[in-house]
Amino acid sequence: MQEEQLIEGLRARDRKTTEYLYEKYSRALFAVIARIVSDKDIAEEVFHDAFIKITKKIDSYEESKGRLYTWMANICRNSAIDKLRSKEISQSGKTNGIDDFVYGLESQSGTMEQVEAIGVKELINNLNEDQRFIIDHIYFKGYTHSEVSEEFDIPLGTVKSRVRAALQVLKKNLHRI
Amino acid sequence: MDIQSYIASGKLELFLLGELTEREREEVLALAKTYPEIQKELDELEEAMFYFDNLTGPEPSPQVKEKIFANLEADFKKEEPLKAAPVTPKETQVVPLSPWKKFAVAASLVALLASAAAIYFAGKYYDTDQKFTALLLDQQVMADNLNQVKLQYEETDSRLDRLVSGDFKRVEMKGTGFEMQKDAKVDVFWDQKAQEVFVAVNNLNSLDAESDYQLWAIGKDGPVGIGLVNPGEKFTLQQMQAVAEAGAFAITIEPKGGSKAPTLEKLVVLGEVA
Repeated sequence: MQEEQLIEGLRARDRKTTEYLYEKYSRALFAVIARIVSDKDIAEEVFHDAFIKITKKIDSYEESKGRLYTWMANICRNSAIDKLRSKEISQSGKTNGIDDFVYGLESQSGTMEQVEAIGVKELINNLNEDQRFIIDHIYFKGYTHSEVSEEFDIPLGTVKSRVRAALQVLKKNLHRI
Repeated sequence: MDIQSYIASGKLELFLLGELTEREREEVLALAKTYPEIQKELDELEEAMFYFDNLTGPEPSPQVKEKIFANLEADFKKEEPLKAAPVTPKETQVVPLSPWKKFAVAASLVALLASAAAIYFAGKYYDTDQKFTALLLDQQVMADNLNQVKLQYEETDSRLDRLVSGDFKRVEMKGTGFEMQKDAKVDVFWDQKAQEVFVAVNNLNSLDAESDYQLWAIGKDGPVGIGLVNPGEKFTLQQMQAVAEAGAFAITIEPKGGSKAPTLEKLVVLGEVA
């Protein structure tokens, strides 16, 4: 399904289109949340609310302001960060970053998931220390780039270029897995 | 404009992460429209992010899907084919504006901007206020801690004063002679004139929840229980009840709360007054 068709169907509140959206994107969108909120139940609760928000707010989504996935991922990421900062969730609900995450993937059962987890681990292993740090904090711990800059005393420009470098490495290596 | 260095600046990545201000977003969108290289880079990055996200996650459980679709049920169009949904926007009627209406429009725009600014600053204020409240709480906790420490210090200080100014005799009680705890050692400090007694635990095993250590002053009328000894508080002075006359001090293990008369089989330490 083309993106325009998808958006049109969502705006028409079409059930099949919504199901298609769920099949195609639920895994990725849930990953965005689960990276930041490690407690599975809480992550699913955040995902539930975020997905409903996406279907309700689709009318205010503007195609000219960016692609659909980016818009949806931002809604999910922001919901997860909001949850993390709310008082409901204790420190223990927060992930400890990349290492926990990779470890968590490895300990999961199911062959398919294991194979994929190995790929992700390799992917992350391609990053150098600085890039890993950035991905860890921005992707897995829900920091914004300005928070990373402030908290770790790294100039904003450096943070930006490291985000860029890290994503370039991920982009380059994606086709190999 | 140097497109490559713009792409290299990292702005596109932040755009996708949703971390740019509205003005910066507009800038990226405008440039992407003008320069196909920028649009291409954006598309590729978005795709990379999607693949990465898609690979990294476990799937949400099927119950979540059920719950979502149950919640959305009321929103779905009833069995209406997708094509039937009209997508052509309705013609909007154009009404010419008279001049005062232009002013009204301008005025409402100004009002809108002012409200937006108000909301923005209210948000800032709220943030700062929260930080401030957190700091106040921290300070309160610190003040409480300080008070506690001060209280402890004063208590210790007054005990030390009494110990130094009084006429205290030190009576060492040892466990060597008994079967219970050979290496037990507790000191009694006794001021006979002021009738004050302190104990300082040097070595005493901890007890189960049903038992207590009880200190006895043994005088002419036999042993008198003068208080319970806490084995956990080592090397601090624990004040006991007043004693005017004693030839020896001893500690036994008694049922929780202490007994009227000592259980002699459970005698732990004994020390004679020199």
